Amino acid sequence: MSTTRRTLTRGALALYAIAAVAATATASSVFFLWARGASAGLAIAAALPPSLLLGFIALASRFLCSALPLRSTSRMSIAVAHAGSAAAASGLWVLTWKSWVPILNRQAAASLAPDYSVLFGLGVLLYLAAVAVHYLFLEIDALREAEDEVLRYRVLTREAELRAFKAQVDPHFLFNSLNAVASLCGSRPLEAREMAQRLADFFRLILRLGALERITLGEEIDLVDRYLAIEKVRFGDRLTTHINVDDEASRCMVPPLLLQPLVENAVRHGVASMVEGGTIDIVATLDNHMLRILIDNPADPDRVDARGEGIGLENARGRLSAVSEGRAMLQAREAEGQFRVVIELPR
Amino acid sequence: MIRVVIVDDELPARELLREFLAADEDCEIVAECANGFEAVKAVAQHDPDLLLLDIQMPKLDGFEVIELLDRSPVVVFVTAHDEHALRAFEVHALDYLLKPLSQDRFRQVMERVKRSVGHHDRQPLAGMATSLRARPLQRVVVRGDDGAIQVVPVSRMDYVEASDDAILIATAGVKLRKQQPIGELAAQLDPDRFVRIHRAYVVNIERIEKIELYAKDSRVAILRDGTRLPVSRSGYQRLRELL
Repeated sequence: MSTTRRTLTRGALALYAIAAVAATATASSVFFLWARGASAGLAIAAALPPSLLLGFIALASRFLCSALPLRSTSRMSIAVAHAGSAAAASGLWVLTWKSWVPILNRQAAASLAPDYSVLFGLGVLLYLAAVAVHYLFLEIDALREAEDEVLRYRVLTREAELRAFKAQVDPHFLFNSLNAVASLCGSRPLEAREMAQRLADFFRLILRLGALERITLGEEIDLVDRYLAIEKVRFGDRLTTHINVDDEASRCMVPPLLLQPLVENAVRHGVASMVEGGTIDIVATLDNHMLRILIDNPADPDRVDARGEGIGLENARGRLSAVSEGRAMLQAREAEGQFRVVIELPR
Repeated sequence: MIRVVIVDDELPARELLREFLAADEDCEIVAECANGFEAVKAVAQHDPDLLLLDIQMPKLDGFEVIELLDRSPVVVFVTAHDEHALRAFEVHALDYLLKPLSQDRFRQVMERVKRSVGHHDRQPLAGMATSLRARPLQRVVVRGDDGAIQVVPVSRMDYVEASDDAILIATAGVKLRKQQPIGELAAQLDPDRFVRIHRAYVVNIERIEKIELYAKDSRVAILRDGTRLPVSRSGYQRLRELL
């Protein structure tokens, strides 16, 4: 819809440009001739054909303008190219004038011959004015396209975020947690109520934080804390957690839901897959403007299903590099039955 | 009286089953297990009528538990993963329950259980279970004569040798005996990593050091640890295609 409208505008603009340049050229020349005593009718007849030609040339200069975009061409090349073509265009206009007048009226040729240097100057000026107008409209188009691009990018980002959200919240976490709620209803109804509330708070928080571009590490840790509190009801003694985050570190900005899926991985592999369970350690420090986050969990060296981990880590890595322009780092190491994720993010 | 063993690695999930079963006068819980190892032991010890079995458990999942049972009770799977539901029937489980559990559904399933107990064929389901496992197989479970359970990742298996109606799995210098036809296991292993080099041998190709000509049309595979295994003509064909 908008594209059609814009093309129409551009077509109309072309006609206006020819008309404007031709009319100005004609009017000015007629004024000169009339001043020299030529009859108005003859002056118009003499001025119109060369002026129309100049109008077309001025219109055609649009191609030259789009071939030499302002943003990516040196000022020098633009100046040289347009000065040259202005001289050529104006020369052609003077030449046409010179050859047309004798054909029109041999007797009046002398009175219809204006000062050609003035005529040449006028041609140059009109041509350059047309170039200026072309550049103006090209810039407006470029600006609109850039705006469209930004909009498209935003839509894509939002879609990616939604996909990430779906990937981050494992539905089985919800089913198992609801099963725990159902279980507590029978024996410990107050705890069941509390668990339901925790689940609701967790999902509300994940939706709210997921919609933001950046959040503080403190907010992310709060989310992780709520998540772990729910998992503790399910796994009981099998899940132990230690979270140690510097005050300074907790004020750092991070992309939302960066840690949560990694901690979910840690629970899945370090606790749910271990008969005896395990401890999840989360440490964050700020050192020399570098935020450093460690997530540790036990890992079974004999585990067979390591595919899920890879996807989670890849997602986190992608998001980190997107927000930090490649300056952040995420590493996963495994040694002696311990799995460690290290994140380093410049403040 | 129906004797029940409950298996789930999450305490609240076991509690819920216990509560549902308490409402049923015909049922008695003989054991509660928090993992697959305890489950295999409890079934051997108590010979229950019904096994309420979680699928996602550490080290030994519900399917592997079934594979390790000598005598199988009626099995009802309890899982949050509905994608396991179909496989539950493939291993001849009587039914399955989805988490969060519904008491109505639980009652219906228990009705089926009661009709089934007594008419149920209590032969081991092992073969059934393994033959329908997800492929390629990632790990093999073996129960020793002393009842100890070993979980062997396939990457740790050097080779498998047929021995009468059982197989010997060579891994890290020991041979584990398992009651299973060699062809059945061979069909489940990743064909890019394991080759049947002989009627009686399946080898992990990463363990092969070299192949030597032994006699006319007869070759021998020498493994990294020096073990020599016979290679039949068709086995050699299969090896050549892969290498």
